[in-house]
Amino acid sequence: MNAAPDRFLGFAITPLTRRRIEAFKANRRGVWSLAIFLVLFVVSLFAEVVANDRPILVWYDGGLYAPFLRAYPETTFGGQFPTEADYGDPEVRRLIGAKGWMLTPPIPYSYRTVAWDLPVPAPSPPDAQHWLGTDDQARDVLARTIYGFRLSVLFGFTLTIVSAVVGVAAGAVQGYFGGWIDLAFQRFMEVWSSVPTLYVLIILTSIVEPTFWWLLGILLLFSWMGFVGVVRAEFLRARNFDYVRAARALGASDPVIIVRHVLPNAVVATMTFLPFILAGSVTALTGLDFLGIGLPPGSPSLGELLAQGKANLQAPWLGITGFVVIALILSLLIFIGEAVRDAFDPRKAIAASPPTPGMSAGIVEPAHQPPRPAE
Amino acid sequence: MKDMLTTPLLSVRDLRVSFGRGEREVRAVRGVSFDVGEAETVALVGESGSGKSVTALSALRLLPYPNAWHPSGAIRFAGEDVLTASALRMRAMRGDRMAIVFQEPLTSLNPLHSIGRQITEVLFVHKKMSAAKARARVVELLHLVGLGEAEARMGDLPHTFSGGQQQRVMIAIALANEPDLLIADEPTTALDVTIQAQILALLKDLQARMRMALLLITHDLGIVRKMAERVCVMTEGLIVEQGRVADVFARPQHPYTRRLLEAEPKGRPEPGPAAAAELLRAHDSRVWFPIKRGLLKRTVGHVKAVDGISLRLKAGHTLGVVGESGSGKSTLGRALLRLTPSRGSIVFADRELQGLSWGEIRPLRRRMQIVFQDPYGSLSPRMTIGRIIGEGLEIHRQGSRDEQRLRVAEVLREVGLDPEVHDRYPHEFSGGQRQRIAIARALVLKPDFIVLDEPTSALDMSVQAQIVELLRDLQRAHGLAYLFISHDLKVIRALAHDVLVMQAGKAVEQGPAEEIFERPRDPYTRTLMAAAFEMQLKAG
Repeated sequence: MNAAPDRFLGFAITPLTRRRIEAFKANRRGVWSLAIFLVLFVVSLFAEVVANDRPILVWYDGGLYAPFLRAYPETTFGGQFPTEADYGDPEVRRLIGAKGWMLTPPIPYSYRTVAWDLPVPAPSPPDAQHWLGTDDQARDVLARTIYGFRLSVLFGFTLTIVSAVVGVAAGAVQGYFGGWIDLAFQRFMEVWSSVPTLYVLIILTSIVEPTFWWLLGILLLFSWMGFVGVVRAEFLRARNFDYVRAARALGASDPVIIVRHVLPNAVVATMTFLPFILAGSVTALTGLDFLGIGLPPGSPSLGELLAQGKANLQAPWLGITGFVVIALILSLLIFIGEAVRDAFDPRKAIAASPPTPGMSAGIVEPAHQPPRPAE
Repeated sequence: MKDMLTTPLLSVRDLRVSFGRGEREVRAVRGVSFDVGEAETVALVGESGSGKSVTALSALRLLPYPNAWHPSGAIRFAGEDVLTASALRMRAMRGDRMAIVFQEPLTSLNPLHSIGRQITEVLFVHKKMSAAKARARVVELLHLVGLGEAEARMGDLPHTFSGGQQQRVMIAIALANEPDLLIADEPTTALDVTIQAQILALLKDLQARMRMALLLITHDLGIVRKMAERVCVMTEGLIVEQGRVADVFARPQHPYTRRLLEAEPKGRPEPGPAAAAELLRAHDSRVWFPIKRGLLKRTVGHVKAVDGISLRLKAGHTLGVVGESGSGKSTLGRALLRLTPSRGSIVFADRELQGLSWGEIRPLRRRMQIVFQDPYGSLSPRMTIGRIIGEGLEIHRQGSRDEQRLRVAEVLREVGLDPEVHDRYPHEFSGGQRQRIAIARALVLKPDFIVLDEPTSALDMSVQAQIVELLRDLQRAHGLAYLFISHDLKVIRALAHDVLVMQAGKAVEQGPAEEIFERPRDPYTRTLMAAAFEMQLKAG
C-alpha cells in the first residue's frame, strides 16, 4: 500500500494489473512464446531490410543511395538502361564495385524476385543461395515466408481488432438496453450468421480482384458476431450491479455508464479469448489463399505456399516450410492465449499474488475480508 | 466440571488449519481446543474470517484437502481419532453419527432431485433400508421437522419450497440417522427473522428430544444467548474466551469479547428538528411488474411489489422501512428515487417527480442519493476510490479538478477514512470500509435525502454498530433525511424516528417509532417484534 503508483514498462498500473502481469509471467511457456513471437514479428516487420533484391545502402562515386526505399535507374550507376537497376545483374554489380560498395540484405531476394540463374528447373531444392529452395516460379521460399508471415499476422491482427471493436459495441448495446433492441438484433444475427461466407467470397472473386482490404471487409462482415454473445451476457449481468445503479442515482447518462462502469468488465471477458480469435483469423486468410480465392496471384502468402506444396509433391521443401511456419504461428499464439487466459482468471490471479488471510480462506467463506481490529 | 467426569463426545485439541504451503500459507485456525459433551449445545461465535466454519468443517474432515492441512492438533469424536481415520471410516461416520446443516438451504439441496429422494439417500447409504421402510421414515422425519403437510409433496423439487421449508428439509436429512452430533453452520443467517425463530425453536426441541449434541456456528450473539449452554469466542483463528454462556455474557474477560458484546446496535435516535419542513411525500405509490404468458405475451396479471404505499418524510428525520425479504421494501426505495418506474405521486422538495424526463430530474439527483446493501457489489472494482467518490461531482460539473479533489478528501475524512486512500482500489478495503466509501459517494454532493438500502446487513456486528453511529452523526451534522430500509429491527430501533412495516407490498402499520415498538397493533408487526426481541428478553 505504497503511495507511489506501481509502474510496469513506465506506465502507472493498478494492483490488479500487477497481479495479472505476475500471473502471466508465472506461465513460463506463455512468456517464452510471447518473446519468440515478438522477435519473429519485429523481424518480419522489417522484411524489406532482411530479404530484398535491392541493397540497403549503395556508396557510389561519392554519393549515398538507399535503393530499398527509392528506385534508381541503372544510368545512375553508369549503366546503359534508363530502367530501374537490377542489383543482381553481374554487370551492375561490377559498375558499383568499381566506384564504391553496396550493402545487401542477408537474403538478397524479395518475395517476387525471380531467380533466372537456377542450376535446375524450378522448384529448386535448398542450397547455399536459396536456404529453403525456390518455388515453382523460381522465387526464394525463405523470402516469401518472411513476407507471408508478416502479411498473415497483420491481417489477423487487423481482422481481430476491428471485429472486436464492432462486436463489443454491438454486444454492449444489446446487453445494456435489452428488450426490443436485443430481440431484434438477436434475430438479425441468427439470419446473418447463416449466410455462407465462403460462397460470398467465391462470388466476389468472380466480380472483383480481391485485395487485402476487400478480404478484410468481407471476413469482418461475419467475424464480429463471435464477440457479441459473451459481451452481451456480461452487460446483461452488469447492468443490474449495485454500482451501476449507484451511478444512475448520481445522474450519470447511459453512455457514461456503459463506457466507465460496464465496459471494463466486458473487456476482460473479451481479452481472454482474443488470442484464440487471432489464431483463427490468421488461418482464415491462409485457408482462402490455399483455395485460390484469397489474395491476388504473386502476393506472398502462406496459403499459396501450401497450395504449391500440394501441387509439387516432388519438392517437399515447399509443403514442409508452409506447414512448419503455420504450425509455429498457431502454437505460439495458442500458448500466449493460454497465459493471457490464466492472467485474467480471477482465481489464478489471486493464487499468484502474495496471500492475504481471508482470501484463501475464502474457499470456505467467500468474499469476506478478515475483520480489521482498527475498524 | 462436566467434561472432567465424562469423556466428551467431541474433543478438539490444539487444532491448527492452514491453507496452502510455504510462502502462501494462510493460517486460518491457529491452535484451538474445546469440547462438546453429550446432549450439550456449544456455540462457536465470531465474525467472518475468524475461522469458526473451518474449525467445524475439520471435525467432519470436509475441508478442501490437500490444499488445507493440519500442522498440528487432534480431533476425537466418541473416542475415535477423526484426523487419522480412514476415508471409509469417515464416510461411515458422516451423515450417520455426525451431521451438518449449512447456511444456504437452496444451494445445499440438489435442485434436480426431489426432497423425498434426498432424504432417503442418507438412509440407503448408512442403514441399507428397504424402500418401503425408508419412505415411512421420511414421512416420520418430515413430521418431526414440522413439515407434515409436505408428506404429499415428497416428490417435489427443492425450489418449490420456501427458504424456511428448505432448511427444515436440510435438518431432516441431517437428523435422518439420529446423529450424536449435529453441526449447524449459521443455520438461520439466510432466513427471515420470523422463520429464523421457528428454525431455532425446532433445533432446540429436537435436540432435547433426541439427546444429541449441537455445535452451533454463528455470528449472532442473540442466537448464542437463546440456544447455547457454553460458548467459544473466536477471532483470527484463536479461541480467546470460552465458558458458560451466562458467565461470558455477564462478565466477559477478553477485550475482544467485550467489544463484540458492546457492538450490538444500541441507543435511540435523537429527536429530529421539530420545525422541519416536509421533504418527501409519496402518495399511493405502486410498482407492478406484469406477468406475461403465452405466445403473444399477454399480460395475465401483476406481481405487486409495492402496492399503494403513502409516506411522508421530514428533513433531518429517519423513516425506517421494515419487512422480510420479498416484501418490496427495496423496490419502494428505488421507486422513490425514480430508479424504477412507478405510479403514484412522489413530491420531493415541493416538486412532483413523476412525469419528469431523465434530463429534468438530473439536477434533483444531486439532492437524493442511495447506499446499497452489498459493499462488495456497489463499488466498481476498476475505479480508484477518488474516482468513485468524485464521479458525482464530475457528472454535475461542480468545481475544478482541484476543488473536486479537496471535496473528496473532505468527505473521506467525514466518514472516518484517511484521505490518502484516494488512489487506491476497492478490493484493498474491508467490508466496513467499503460501506464508508459508498456513504462518502452519496454524501459528496451534499444531498438532503439518502435511501439506505440495508446498509449494515452484510457487515460484521462490530462494524455494523460503527456504521450506525456514523449515520447518526452525519444526520445530525447535515440535517439529512434517511429512508432506512432494513429487516433488522434492532438497527431500525437505533435509528428511525418513524417506522413503516411492509408485508407483501403493502404497509401493514406505520407511525412514530416509539408507538410501534411499544404498542404494535398489527399481528404481523407483533410477530416480527417477538422474533427479533424475544431472544434478548429470555436471556436478559
